[in-house]
Amino acid sequence: MPSHHPGPPGYHGCYLRIDVGKQCAERVGLAEVELRKFLGGSGLGVHLMLREGSHQVDPLSPEAPLAFVFSPLVGSPLTTSAKFAVVSRSPLTERINDSLASSHFAIAGKRAGCDAIVLVGRADTPSILIIDEGQIRIEAAGELWGLSCRDAETQLRARLGNEYQIATIGPAGERLVRYATISHDGRHAGRGGSGAVLGSKHIKAIAVRGSQRARLAEPAQLVALAKQLSDKSFGPATAKYRELGTAANLLVFNRLGALPTRNFQQGTFKAAEALSPEQMTQTRAKTRASCAACTIGCEHIYGFRGGDNQPGVRMEYENLFALGPLCGISDPDVVLGASRVCDELGLDTISAGGTIAFAMECVERGLLDAPWLKFGDGNALHRALHEVGRREGLGALMAEGSRRMAKSIGSDALTFAPQVKGLEMPGYEPRALQTMALGFAVGTRGADHNRSGAYEVDFSERVDRRQPGLEAAGMAVETEDKAALMDSLILCKFLRGVFTDFLAEAAEMLNLVTGWDTTPDELRATARRIVTAKKHFNILCGWQPAEDTLPERFLNHPLPDDPTATLTPERLQGLVAAYNTARGWSSEGWPTRGQIAELG
Amino acid sequence: MSITVELFGIPRQRAGIAKTQAEGARLDEVLLDLARRFPRLAEACIANGRLQSGYLANLNGQRFVSDPSTALAAGDSLLILSADAGG
Repeated sequence: MPSHHPGPPGYHGCYLRIDVGKQCAERVGLAEVELRKFLGGSGLGVHLMLREGSHQVDPLSPEAPLAFVFSPLVGSPLTTSAKFAVVSRSPLTERINDSLASSHFAIAGKRAGCDAIVLVGRADTPSILIIDEGQIRIEAAGELWGLSCRDAETQLRARLGNEYQIATIGPAGERLVRYATISHDGRHAGRGGSGAVLGSKHIKAIAVRGSQRARLAEPAQLVALAKQLSDKSFGPATAKYRELGTAANLLVFNRLGALPTRNFQQGTFKAAEALSPEQMTQTRAKTRASCAACTIGCEHIYGFRGGDNQPGVRMEYENLFALGPLCGISDPDVVLGASRVCDELGLDTISAGGTIAFAMECVERGLLDAPWLKFGDGNALHRALHEVGRREGLGALMAEGSRRMAKSIGSDALTFAPQVKGLEMPGYEPRALQTMALGFAVGTRGADHNRSGAYEVDFSERVDRRQPGLEAAGMAVETEDKAALMDSLILCKFLRGVFTDFLAEAAEMLNLVTGWDTTPDELRATARRIVTAKKHFNILCGWQPAEDTLPERFLNHPLPDDPTATLTPERLQGLVAAYNTARGWSSEGWPTRGQIAELG
Repeated sequence: MSITVELFGIPRQRAGIAKTQAEGARLDEVLLDLARRFPRLAEACIANGRLQSGYLANLNGQRFVSDPSTALAAGDSLLILSADAGG
């Protein structure tokens, strides 16, 4: 099925819409004006969700669309550009969800001759979807159903051939765990439950190959620019990621009282040093890896103590914090093992750790009858993960995420469920990092460190992180806009430190790919449009201003180990209103009619 | 005057030490003392009494500081860390 919708350079000008129930596909045109307004990745994804009416249907219903969205930079020589966004209405939050992953799946998917793949429908039986140059076929999943992400990918590749790139769900996605992931090559589109959406369509895996390259407007100049960017990516701005990885946050956050511990009951963890990459690098084998088409190489893969023949495990700050201090776990081998279980089952480590830590506190408070589930007990953590992944025992409840679980438990459980809009919080204690608290509260995806970089403001001289003024709101907007652009172009955020003038440099890249005459001001407007589109989607899903807040635990209750870290409801409400005003929305957060109309 | 310096991440890797004492009554004086004693730390992180781009200083876990003339007091702890907190 060759492309019949030639788009501008950098694009194919269409998306591939596949009904897995009817086993048919069509190419749907994307006008150049749409592409220029929303770029790709997260931006184009939310546009497609609005166009497909995703807000009108249950995210786990057959009608719900699930989009794999590429970008103009995918397939270009620019470092870190081999990324894709998985976009849908989230079964965890029932709001917009866009999860990004880096892998050859992005390159292969775009070479199928489309700018996005949108799945609708539901297969009658567990199946795999094969996309070959844009032609599709559905085959029975057979013995693949029930396998781990890695085993399913390995077996399917052995069956189809190495030229296919394969995205899979694990047992968690099959069982509709609301924070199940989609995995490829060990990387996960992790947050918000896109794996459950794919599982609800009875699709275990998507295999894709293709050879249709989107043309580039100025290939020679782009190669030169890519060389410069690669050179900069080897410099000091990325040294942290290359040498220690994101896990290097752990000791810093602990020292600043910002390391969420025991379900956010504390901001410091006594055993943090033992879990730190500074320490683990000295006590166990470590290797390093890169995503596809990346020159940074931020993945640090640790072996188990004693070097027992088990394969190593990628360790990032988020899985380290969520499966370590958040659950009171101090043994690195337990955390590594738990991370691997999440990888195999296809579970978002942040939501898994957050929900289990919440359950541990519920047990401690006598709200749950599961005496085995205790903070600091590694066996309990592993048992809980397996129960979640298979929806067995208490896992059936924990598979729903902490918000639904809290509502089911009743009493005051919702006041200490560690979530915003249903999405479990990442590893930033909001009372110690209060610009980030704002970022969490207003995030369209829920509590989120990837769509808002507001922590950067807290880690600066511009504000008092425990008592920011209203000026912090505008700074938070800037970080969110930057993230929206990086997630739509798509470029890895670990590059952000190498740019001198991000908007100007991003415009230059985009123009060399597309032949457009984009300006920094246009890109700034594009970023704001994308954020407004996500807000508009949420409004159509039933968003109300009261959602833009934090659980009661974080409001008026100081951190026990840092009483100066107190966030009042009044301060948060003031910041939220200032944020909304800075976006040009009403102080409650409603975009103007003009802003909505401009979405097209 | 001696203050405590705590090193995290790359600065710790380069200095080969997690904590040390350094001499100085101002931020630049302490950084110059560190640069003199830990050449590999200086090479990566310190230039002319200032931290290089990509690194931050924090005083007592309370506030971030960069002005070379920032006054330090006996008993202070100066934290030196990588700037990017994302993960």
